Amino acid sequence: MKAIKKTWKFLCSMRFAIILLVVLAIACSVGSLVTQGQSYDWYAQRYSERTAGLIVALGLDDAFHSIWFIVITAFLCLNLLLCNLTRLPQLIRRTQAEGKPDGALRTQGDVTSERVPDPEAAFARLRMPRPEPCKTEDGRKALFSSKHRAGLWGAWVCHLGILLLILGFGLGQMTQKQYTVYGVPGDAKPIGDTGWMLEIDDFTIGLREDATVEQYTAAISVYSPEGGDATRESAEISVNHPATLKGLKFYQNSTGWATRVNVLKDGAPLQDAVVCAGDFLPVADKPDLVVYLNAFYPDYVLTPGVGPSTASADMNNPAWLYSVYYQGRLLGMNALMDGEELTVDEYTFTFTDTQNFTLIQIKEDHFAWLALLGGIATMLGLLLAFYVQPARVWAVQETDGSWTLHGACRKGGTIFREKFAQAAGGREGTAEEEP
Amino acid sequence: MLQVENTQFTIVMLLYFASMLLYFAFIAVKKDGVAKVAVGLQIAGLALHTAALICRGIGAGRLPLTNQYEFATSFAWGLCLVSLIFVLKFKFPVLGAFSAPVVFLIIGYAAMQSKEVKNLMPALRSNWLGFHVSTAIIAYGAFGVSFVLGVIFLLRQRMRDSGFLDQHIPKREKLDVIAYRSVSLGLLFLTFTIVTGAIWAERAWGSYWSWDPKETWSLVTWIIYAAYLHLRLRRGWEGRAAAIFAVIGFVCVIFTYIGVNTFLPGIHSYA
Ligand code: HEM
Repeated sequence: MKAIKKTWKFLCSMRFAIILLVVLAIACSVGSLVTQGQSYDWYAQRYSERTAGLIVALGLDDAFHSIWFIVITAFLCLNLLLCNLTRLPQLIRRTQAEGKPDGALRTQGDVTSERVPDPEAAFARLRMPRPEPCKTEDGRKALFSSKHRAGLWGAWVCHLGILLLILGFGLGQMTQKQYTVYGVPGDAKPIGDTGWMLEIDDFTIGLREDATVEQYTAAISVYSPEGGDATRESAEISVNHPATLKGLKFYQNSTGWATRVNVLKDGAPLQDAVVCAGDFLPVADKPDLVVYLNAFYPDYVLTPGVGPSTASADMNNPAWLYSVYYQGRLLGMNALMDGEELTVDEYTFTFTDTQNFTLIQIKEDHFAWLALLGGIATMLGLLLAFYVQPARVWAVQETDGSWTLHGACRKGGTIFREKFAQAAGGREGTAEEEP
Repeated sequence: MLQVENTQFTIVMLLYFASMLLYFAFIAVKKDGVAKVAVGLQIAGLALHTAALICRGIGAGRLPLTNQYEFATSFAWGLCLVSLIFVLKFKFPVLGAFSAPVVFLIIGYAAMQSKEVKNLMPALRSNWLGFHVSTAIIAYGAFGVSFVLGVIFLLRQRMRDSGFLDQHIPKREKLDVIAYRSVSLGLLFLTFTIVTGAIWAERAWGSYWSWDPKETWSLVTWIIYAAYLHLRLRRGWEGRAAAIFAVIGFVCVIFTYIGVNTFLPGIHSYA
C-alpha cells in the first residue's frame, strides 16, 4: 500500500517532470545526431558494424517513432495529466480565496511596511485596483485589493496546452492519410484508395525577370468517377497556399520534367505514355525491356570531361538523358533530342512534348486542429504565467491609528519588494524570505 | 538602398565596438559617467542598426530575415535590444559590459556572411515566415541575455566582494529574478517561433512537424528552458544550478542556429 502511494506521488511530482524533460531532451538530440531512416548497411559503412547493430537494435534509425520515445512521451503526458488534475481543486480554492480579504487579513504579507502615511495612495502607486474597505477579525479597519488572479492559471493552462498538443500530434500521426499524385495538365488520376479522382487542369511556373522561380501554381479538380461533373470541386493551389477539397488538403509540393514517350513496333503504334524524369517505362509487350529517363536538359550542351548540362533555362536545345535496360542489365545510356528517334531492335522510341509536371501532395489529418489548439493554449498559458502576476496588497490600521501595508506577489520576488518599499513610503517591516 | 545599408552596417559595427570598449573602461576605472556614454553609444548603434535593417528591407523588397547574413545581423540587433532594455530597466550597466562582446561576436559573424540579396524561393514567400523569424530574434536575444546573466552569476561567486561590485551587480536573489525574467521572455517567444514555424511548414510542405534537425534542436532548446523553470521552483536549485542551465540553454540556441546548418543538413538548410 505504501509503495503504491509512493509511486503515485512520484508519478504526480515535478521531480519526475524534470527527469522526463531532461531524458526527452537527450532523446531528441540523439535522434537528430543519428541520420534517420537508413539501412543497417548504411550505418555499418558510416560507423562500424557494432555501432550499426546497436543503432538498429535500439531503434535509433527511427528514433522519433521508436517504442522508447513513445513511452517517454506517454509518461510525460501521464505526469502532466496527473499534475493538472491533482492541483485543480486547490487552484480553484486559491483563486477564490485570493479575491477575498479574509485569508490575507489573518496573515502577514511577504513584504510589509509600517506607519504608511497614505495607504490609498500606496495602492495607486502599486497600480492596484481601488481597495475595498473591510474589517479584521478583531474589528480593526482594513483595506484590501487583489489583481491578476488569472495569472494563477498560467502553468495549468500551459500544461493543458502541451497535453493537447501531444495528443493532437499523436492521434494525427496514427490516423493521418497521405497521398501523392503527379501529372501534366489534362491528366486525371485516382487519389489512393479515397475513391476520388484528381484532375490537373493547368500548371504554370511563374518566373521573375532573372528566370528564378517566383511561384508554382496548379489548377486542380476533384470528382468522383461515378458521380461525374456534379461532384466536381475545383481550386487553385500554389506553394504556401494549399486548398481543401472534399475534406482532403492539397499542397503544391514540387515539380519536374515529363515527356510523352511514343513507342512503335515495326513501324506500327504500340504505346503512348507520359513519363517523368526519374521514372521507368517498361515496353508494353516486352516488359523486360525498360527505358529509364535520367534527366532533362532544356538547353543541352555536352562538355567533354564534365558531362551533360544545360546552358540556360530556355528550351533552346531540349534533350533527354536516358538509359535502356534489358532484364535489369544496362544496354546503353545516351542523350535524345526532342522528337528524335531511338531504335532498339524492332522498337522505335520518340520523346515529344516535354513539359513540367506537378507533384501534388494530398493529406487528411483530422487532429491538426487539436494540435493547433494545444499550441495556442501553451502560448496563452506562458503569457499568463510570466506576464500576469497575481498580487495582493492590504492595509491594516493598528491600534495606535497608523497603517501597516502588506503585499504578496510570489512571482515578483525582489523586484516586487523594491517597488513595494518605494510605493509604501513607510518603514520597512520584517519581510519573510521569499519562496 | 543596399549601398546605404552597407555603410550603415560598418558604422554600426564601429559604434558597437566603441561602446564595448567604453563598457570595459567603465569596469576598469569604475566611473559611472563612462557607463552612461557606453549606453548612449549603444543606443545610437541600435538606432542606426534599426535603420540599416529597414534599408535592407526596402532594398530587397521584403523582410530582411531570410538568409544567414540577414538573420545574424538581426540576431545581434535582438540581443542588443533586449540587453539594453534590461540594462535600463534594472539599472545594470555591468550586464551591458558582458553582453557587448557577445553582440560584437554575432555582428562579426554577420559581417563574414555573403550580403548578396537573392530572390526568394516560393516556400520562403510567406507572411508566417515574418512572424516565425522575428519572434526567433527576440527569443534568441532574451536567451543571450540570460546566458550573460548566468555567466555574471557564476563569476560573481568567484569574485571577492568589493564596493564596486556590490554597488553594480545586484544581489544573488535579484540576479536570479532578472535571469528568470529573461528566460521567460525567451521561452514565450521561442514558443511563438515554434508554433508559427509549424503553421508555416504545414502550408509550405504539408506537414507541421517533421523532426527536421532544426525543428528538433529548437525543441531541445525549448525543453531545456522548461526544465530550468521547474528547477527554479524547487528550493535550493535557484541560483547556481539555474545559472548553469541558462548557459547550457544558450549553447543549444547557438547550436540550433549555426551547428545544425553545418553538421545536420535538412530542409532548413537555407537559413
Ligand atoms: C514540456 C513540459 C512543460 C512545460 C513547458 C511546463 C511549463 C511550465 C511553466 C511555464 C510553469 C510556470 C513556471 C513559472 O511561473 O515560473 C510551470 C510550472 C509548474 N509545472 Fe510545468 N511545464 C511542463 C511540464 C510539467 C510537468 C510534466 C509537470 C508535472 C508535474 C509540471 C509541473 C509544474 C508545477 C507543479 C508547476 C508550478 C506551478 C505553479 O507555480 O503554479 N510541469 N510549468
